[in-house]
This record gives sequence, structure tokens and C-alpha cells, in this order.
Amino acid sequence: MISIKKSFVIFLMTLIFSLVLVWFVGEISIPGQAAEEVNAYSIWPENWARPMFEEFEKATGIHVNFIRFSSGEALARVIAEKSNPQVDVLFGGPVETHSAGISEGVFEAYKPPSYDVLESRFKDADGFWVGIADDPLVFMSNAGFLKEKNLNPPSSWNDLLDPAYKDMIQMADARTSGTAVTRIFTILEVFNRDEDKAFEYMKKLRANVQVYTKSGGGGTIPVGLGQAGAGIFFIVDALKTQQEGYDVVVSFPKEGIGTSTEAIALLKGAKNPELGKKLIDWASSPAMQNLFAEYKINFIPAHPDVEIEPSLAAVVKDANIFPIDNVWAGENRKRIVDEWVEKVLP
Amino acid sequence: MPAFLYIFKKKISTNLPKDPAILLSIIVIWFFLLLFILFPLSKIFILTFEKSGHFTLANILEILGKRNHLQAFWNSLLLATLVGLSGTVLGFFFAFTSVRASLSKGWSKFLDSTIILPLISPPFTTAIAMIFSFGRRGLITYNLLGIKTFNVYGLHSVLFAETITFFPIAYLTLKAILSGIDPTVEDMAFSLGSSRGRVFKTITLPLAIPGLANSFLLLFAASLADFATPLILAGSRFPVLPTEAFLQITGLFDIRGGAVLSFILLVPAFSVFVLQRYWVSRKYYVTITGKAGAQTQIKSVTSKTGKFFLTVCILISTLILYFYVLLFYASIVKAFGANYQITLKHYIVVFTEGLKAIKDTLFIATIGMLLGGFYGVIVGYLISKKTFISRPAMEIVSMINYSLPGTIVGIAYLITFNNPPVIITGTAIIIIACYVFRYGATGIRTTMAILQQIDPSIEEASLSLGASAITTFKRITIPLILPGLFSGLGIVFIRSMTAISATIFLISINWTLITVRILEKMTELELGVAAAFSTLVVVIVFIMIIFINLFLRLFRGPGAIDMSNILGG
Repeated sequence: MISIKKSFVIFLMTLIFSLVLVWFVGEISIPGQAAEEVNAYSIWPENWARPMFEEFEKATGIHVNFIRFSSGEALARVIAEKSNPQVDVLFGGPVETHSAGISEGVFEAYKPPSYDVLESRFKDADGFWVGIADDPLVFMSNAGFLKEKNLNPPSSWNDLLDPAYKDMIQMADARTSGTAVTRIFTILEVFNRDEDKAFEYMKKLRANVQVYTKSGGGGTIPVGLGQAGAGIFFIVDALKTQQEGYDVVVSFPKEGIGTSTEAIALLKGAKNPELGKKLIDWASSPAMQNLFAEYKINFIPAHPDVEIEPSLAAVVKDANIFPIDNVWAGENRKRIVDEWVEKVLP
Repeated sequence: MPAFLYIFKKKISTNLPKDPAILLSIIVIWFFLLLFILFPLSKIFILTFEKSGHFTLANILEILGKRNHLQAFWNSLLLATLVGLSGTVLGFFFAFTSVRASLSKGWSKFLDSTIILPLISPPFTTAIAMIFSFGRRGLITYNLLGIKTFNVYGLHSVLFAETITFFPIAYLTLKAILSGIDPTVEDMAFSLGSSRGRVFKTITLPLAIPGLANSFLLLFAASLADFATPLILAGSRFPVLPTEAFLQITGLFDIRGGAVLSFILLVPAFSVFVLQRYWVSRKYYVTITGKAGAQTQIKSVTSKTGKFFLTVCILISTLILYFYVLLFYASIVKAFGANYQITLKHYIVVFTEGLKAIKDTLFIATIGMLLGGFYGVIVGYLISKKTFISRPAMEIVSMINYSLPGTIVGIAYLITFNNPPVIITGTAIIIIACYVFRYGATGIRTTMAILQQIDPSIEEASLSLGASAITTFKRITIPLILPGLFSGLGIVFIRSMTAISATIFLISINWTLITVRILEKMTELELGVAAAFSTLVVVIVFIMIIFINLFLRLFRGPGAIDMSNILGG
């Protein structure tokens, strides 16, 4: 009896083992089915990047292999892989990331057909990157929290210093998140690039911060759930939270708030440069940017021929929004982030 | 030929194994140890101590000169000490209850199987559950207790989560020790009129001290290396070294800074490892009485205290179970905290978008398991059964990657294998090599432990009957160490499924891992998907454990996997 049981178990194990082996061998030996493939690091979250890439494949037959990183991580990777690039395109992410990449020499200049019609803030003068969307920062607060503390939605940078927000603000960590870098440069602009005053403000704000999150949108759901009271996010993340049904309020400071271009760039030494260029052509044209509304991606399109979705236009109508000087930001990014880590974070 | 070379040559030749197969194996193993352990580690040393071609301490001083990093260093030591203490106390409490409180078999099985859960889970599981329970709108703090201002981020949370995750290590270590203390020794003291408190203070506790020290060091090391829990729960005011090193590299692209930080982490980690392995673990007391193991009514606790102890243990186990139920629940509702409608959508995401990560992980874990298992057996065999000149060195070197926090190993691989002579970034090989030379070490230790119990005369008999070394190995040694092989295989597989601290640096566009997807989904706040992925990993690991136990039972091997080797992360 026992020996039958034993040999049966052994047989079963061998069977499973060989099946797994066959599957693995198949997995390895069958190269990618799509004839044409392009590799990308996406800074956009998977939820938005995936449908865009699927639409791209529908339109061109080119499959996009991608992996998502926050902007700091993606930049670190492309710099580390400079001598042996693993991807062809860096897709999305605030343009400070791309500016910093230019000084590291990781990009190849390429001007897609849309280049000439784009506003100058949506393109690099040498063509190292082009804009695919515009993404202003906003204040987002939990409606219940505001009511409980009897507050109006914050309408000034100083409102966030109110002790009522103590330990209730979540925002991103500048070491990993482009949102955070844009936020810090915004504050610098608000204080007319007076770094002492700007850092003074950020240190004061620190007292109200519950946690600095790894990614830019990291605080949105906590604010939605009321685990945090408010935060500073890109509009695209804030409106997504609202669309998912969380009771949050979007507001803008009267002193103004920065906006960052979402950019795309071709990597130097890319293994599939022609396919990468096709992806850039497509992403910088109305072909992709017309799809934002359909997929509920609340970016403001960069291409002048694409209309802003009406409800999104209504949100930003009266807001005081100014572009970040990306050249200045790119040059100073490392120094400012280091200073932020040193002075504000602890 | 110069004289010293001659001596050197002579010395080597007298110590060379006579069997060419053994000699060849030693050379091959050394080649791999050099390539995958010493070479990457040397890169960390070079980055730490070199500046424009000269030896310098400037890099270390520069990093430690930053307030944040210096604080991270002290925080890491503080956290590790606290986790070591609280985990050991909790582990001792559980072990004492389990051994001395006359538990029924059912209860002791319940405790055993529940508290093992955190050890075999992907990282973050406790952290996710903590945020669901104790966040600003957490189930326990807000809904149950109505506390509105509890801050879930900080030392207290990390301490709590790590204690819950790692105390089973202390429990397993101490249970073995406590059950080795013959209750008749305590009986003698009782019959001489000692009180229970006095017996505990003067007999039980002193006998357990080496075990307590051992478990403290194991927990200290586990906490020092833990990357996932502080990443989620530490918040911004409590930086620790592994997460700082990670952020330094991925966020600031400061590879040298990351290497220096991991070197700073290396110092306490390796000291603790050496202390644990070569000092404390050899200082066990054995109680020798005339009739060891005699049945005796255990009197060290009254049945009332026993019941009390059991209740406390059950409460803590229930808390752990609750965390897992919560995790599963979060994976099947639309949006935990906001919308509790049951849905399968997170699992659909897991099995569509996440399918590549699942396939990659299974593939890497399976290959890593096979290679790591055989590597463990071969090295373990060489170290315990053969004499050759480099044997002690081989034993130490083979343990290095295992004893170091994953962050260090990951960073070392990242900086080493992206440049000539060996470029393997972006391949599966780099992840597999990382697993094999890190977790294969547990296979080495299991194999050595088993081989130490085998009488060498069995092998000698085979050799003297004319069998070659290979035949002897095949016919005698392999069947004897088969249980060790299976345990080794299982441990490499389980840890390959759950590790993140090293491999987060090694994933690429071609090869990604479930654990990294979990982290990614958590930072994207797709907590439902993260929970679904975690549940999947727990299920896969459980199936694996059942398989291994089946195998072990088939070969009548001694017991199940040594769970104390399955540290998280």
C-alpha cells in the first residue's frame, strides 16, 4: 500500500516538474511575438501608461515593453545604464527630470513633426525632449477634514502653515518624486528665488507634514480617506482621486502655483532608435493627446490642436499658474534637493 | 625558483586533495565565490575608501557629516536593539508557554502555525495591515477606538511591525533550548522547597541565557537588515540605513553615497553575525540528569498562570491572523476604507498586468532553488567532509552574502555587474546569482548540520570496499543528505519569492519580480492590487511548504524545514 502511495507521489511530482520545465523552456525560447518592440521606462503610473501604449500598438503595430518608476528612480536608472542602455525611451515625468538628464548626457536629440507647432516651454531648444502634456500643481484637501476644523480650502501658501494642519499634510519626498521637485521649485519662485526665505517657509511647513511619500501621488488616497487632511499634488493625481469618488476639494494659492511639462525623450545609444522615434512622434501629436479625455487622464494637452476637456478647463480657469523655468531647475536640481534633504527633511 | 615560492608550492601540494573531482569542484566553487561574493564586496570597499586613486576616509566622513545619515545610523542601531529586546521577550514568553504551560496539542499547533506566517510572507504585509488598522482612518484606531490623532508613522510602528514579524525567530530558537532543559532539574528545586519565582530566576532563566543572547543577536541582525517595513512605516522623521541607502541611489543617483551608507551598515551587521555564529551559538548548556526525558508533572507554572499565559499568546496570534484576514479582505473589496463592495478586479489585474512578474518570479525562484540547493549541498559537503587548505576561508566566504543585509548585496551587484569584465545587469542571471549565493548559504548550514551527525565510518567503509569517491558520494552521502537538500531547495525558493531588499536594485525591463510590483503598487496606492499580490505569494509559499514536507516525509527525513532560516526580506 505504502509503496504505491509513495510511487504515486513521486510520479505526480515528476509530472509537475516536467510540465513546469516545458513551460519555462517554451517561455525562454519563444522570442517576443510582436515583430517590432520598443522598450521604455514610464514615469506615468501603469494605469495611464498601459492604455496609451496599447493604443500605440493598435495604431502602429509596435509593442511597447515598459516598467514604471518614479522620476528620480527612472533618472537614476538611465544614468546608471548610460554605457549600456536598457530602454529606448523615457516616457512622461516632469521635465525637471529630463533637464537633469541632459546635463548627464543620456539623451539623443530628436525633433518630431509636432516640434514646430509646440509652444517654446513644451520643447527643449536642442530637441533633447518634447512636451506631451502640461501638469499644474494643486492643493487638495479632504472635505470632511476642512469641515471638522472649520477651515476654508487653502487659498494661500500661508494657509498651510495653520496649526490646524499639524501632522495632517502629506506630500512627496524630493529624493524620489518629480512632484516634490516641482513643488520645491514652485516655492522658490513664489519667494522670488530667495532661497533663505523659501527654505524658511518649507521648514515651517515641515511641522504640519505627517509623512513624505515616495511617489508624487502617494498622499492622494490618504487625503481622500481622511488619514491626512491636505496635500500638494499634480492636478492629474488630484482629479483622479476626485473621480474615484473621494470627497476632496481642489484649490489654488493666490500667490500662484507652478506647472510642469510632462516630457518624453529618446535615449542616447538606444537599441531601437527608429521605433523609439515613432513612439515620440505619436506621443507628441494629437493622436495620443486626444485620448486623455477618453481614458480620464486629467493632463492638459501640450499640443495646441488638442482641446482641453471642458470640466478640466473649468477647474483651472481662474487659477494663477506659472511655468517652472526648467533650465534653471535642471541646473539646480541636485543642489536644491540636497539642501532640502539636509535642512527640511529631518 | 625563489625559496618562498618553493615552500609555498610544497605546502599546497601536500594539502591538495588527491581526488581530481574534488579538486576540480573546489576550484570551480572558489571561482564562483570570488566572482559573486568577494568581487562585488570589494567594489563597495573601493567606492567607500577611494577618492581619485587614494585611500581616504573623506567619503565616510562626508556621509556621516550629514545630519540625516548620522541619525539614520543611530536610528538603525536603536531600532535593532529594541526589536532584539522586545522580540526576545515575546519569543521567550511564547516558548515558555508552549513548553511549560502544559498546552494541549491543538493549541500548540495553532500557535506554531500562526506565528510562522509573518516569516514566510512577502515584505510589507504587516506594514499594509498596520496602515489599514492604525492609520488616521484605521479600523482599530479610528473606527473602533475613535482616536483621531494617532500617527502610524514612526519608530513605534516599525518596532511593533518588526517585533511581530521577527519574534518567531526568537520563539523557535528559545523553544529548542527550553525543551532541552530537563524539567526534573526544576522538580529537584521544587522538592527542596523553592518557590516558582525562585526556580524561574535561579534555574530556568540562567539555563536559557545563551539562547536569549543568541535570539537577541538574530533579531538584531534581522531588524538591521529590514528594508521593507521602515520604507512604509518609518515616515520621514525616523530614517534608517537600509532605506537611506536605497533612496540615496534610486532617488539622488548617488551610487558612492549609497555604497558608503551600506558600508556603514555592514560594520554592525557583520560584527553581530560573527558574534552570533562563533561565540554565542557555541555556548549552550545541556542539562544532564540520571534519567533525562523522564515523564514528570511540570510544576513550574500553576494551571492558572498557564491559562493566563496561553490567553495572552492566543491574543497575539489572533492579532497576526487578523492582519492576514485583513490583507485578504483588502484584496477582494473595491477600495479599502472607502468602498467595501466585493470584487475580483484586483486579482484580474494581478493575472493580466501582473502575469509577467508572476512568471518571472516563478522562473527565477525555480532556477535559483535548483542551483542554490545543489550549491548548498556541494559546499556543505566539501566544508564538512574534506580537508583542504582553503576550507575555513571557504566556510566564512560562503556565509558573507547571507549574513549581510540585502541592501548591501544588491548595491554591490549593481555597481559590479554593470561594467566589464562581467556585464549581467538586465538579465535574469544577476537576480538568480544573488539568490543562489545569498540563500544557498542556508543549504550549506543544513547540509553541514546533517553531515556532522553522520558517522564518517560509513563513508570509510564504502571507500575501503573499493568504491571511488564519486560512487561513495552518490551511493552513501547523497541519500543521507537528501533531507538537507530539500530543506535547502525550499528555503531558497521561499526566500526568492519574498525577498526585495537586494533585488530591488537588480530588476530590469526584462525581468521583474512580484515583490517589486507590490512595492510599486503600494507607492501608486493601488493597495487592493498590492494586497492581492501578497495573498498570491502567501498561497504559493504555503503550497511549496506542503510539497517539501511531503518529500521530507517520503524520505523519512528528520522534521520539517528549519523555519528559523526563513528571515523575511
